[in-house]
Amino acid sequence: MDPRYDRQRRAGGGGSSNSSPALGSQSRRRKIPPRPADFKLQIIIIGSRGVGKTSLMERFTDDTFCEACKSTVGVDFKIKTVDLRGKKIRLQIWDTAGQERFNSITSAYYRGAKGIVLVYDITKQETFEDLPKWMKMIDKYASEEAELLLVGNKLDCETDRIVTKQQAERFASRISGMRFCEASAKDNFNVDEIFLKLVDDILSKMPLEMPSRELSNSILSLQPEPEVPPELPPPRMRCC
Amino acid sequence: IIYLKTFYTLSIGEMCILSGVEMDKEESSVESKECCTRSELVSEDGKNLKSVLCQRCGSKVLCPGMAVYSEKELFLPPMRNKKAPSLTEGSGDNLSAHWLVDDMYTFENVGFTNDVGRIKYLICADCEIGPIGWHCLDDKKSYYVAVERVDHA
Repeated sequence: MDPRYDRQRRAGGGGSSNSSPALGSQSRRRKIPPRPADFKLQIIIIGSRGVGKTSLMERFTDDTFCEACKSTVGVDFKIKTVDLRGKKIRLQIWDTAGQERFNSITSAYYRGAKGIVLVYDITKQETFEDLPKWMKMIDKYASEEAELLLVGNKLDCETDRIVTKQQAERFASRISGMRFCEASAKDNFNVDEIFLKLVDDILSKMPLEMPSRELSNSILSLQPEPEVPPELPPPRMRCC
Repeated sequence: IIYLKTFYTLSIGEMCILSGVEMDKEESSVESKECCTRSELVSEDGKNLKSVLCQRCGSKVLCPGMAVYSEKELFLPPMRNKKAPSLTEGSGDNLSAHWLVDDMYTFENVGFTNDVGRIKYLICADCEIGPIGWHCLDDKKSYYVAVERVDHA
């Protein structure tokens, strides 16, 4: 791929990664052309069972935190879009809930991840004690460049706190490049910041010329098959 | 947990098999309304004129002009939210009007369910209501969002 592809595309104000031929003309007609993503990043959320991984992912952009939600069934991954530094960044977020046994998360999750959010529960000592085991998995499978963020969740349960902030800071400081913060998915405290900070760190490490095409290669695809040309059905005008 | 997941998957799978489709009145009226406003939704070149939003929480699924209007008969299990999953219901809808995109990164925000056979259902990334759309693992260039199951603004 032409490494300048994405920048040219932006300057032209049209097109997208779909490369649908009709899109260019459509864009020119619009006052604000649809802007393709500038970057695509894969982020995984890991941590022991019940620490609030899924809640963190939901709180990221919405306000539908659900007190009743217990453990995750059904959702595989999400695409979320953030705007940062004037760039539009598409995040592919993998929540590993339901796969908490350390060996059950496939190495593929780790391999492509540009950012890893490692979550523990400040009210549950064992979730903190599990951290070295998670680190072992990260060391084994994740890219060395992956940004690491340690999150002590459930700050809203301060009265039940078992793990002190200092303990966690000490843990994070021993791992090079690991950031640490505490958050509450329930109160939406620090949640947006977690992801924005992580994405910001990832971006700042990136050479500016890095085309998103190249980046997207690191992202897990649903089906590792050779590219086939898109087969779009002919657009319909109207039905009646 | 693995057992739970399997159960969930099976339940949706069963719903697909039990596709005794009951279009309730509300939905058919939505469809007729949809039909008359199609020119408001679809541009001359077949793209979505408006943003595609979640009906429940307003989360943006697609920006204007990013999807192609496409007709294809697809079965979607009934809309539900995770608070009251209606997994036991055997009903659902056969929907034919969709927004089609060929790359998952075209979406602003969207969630994908675990596999149900060769299908992944699309849900709202924020409130997880759904299914709002359909993706078959055998065609990695087609992601459908049912026009009836989203808002346009």
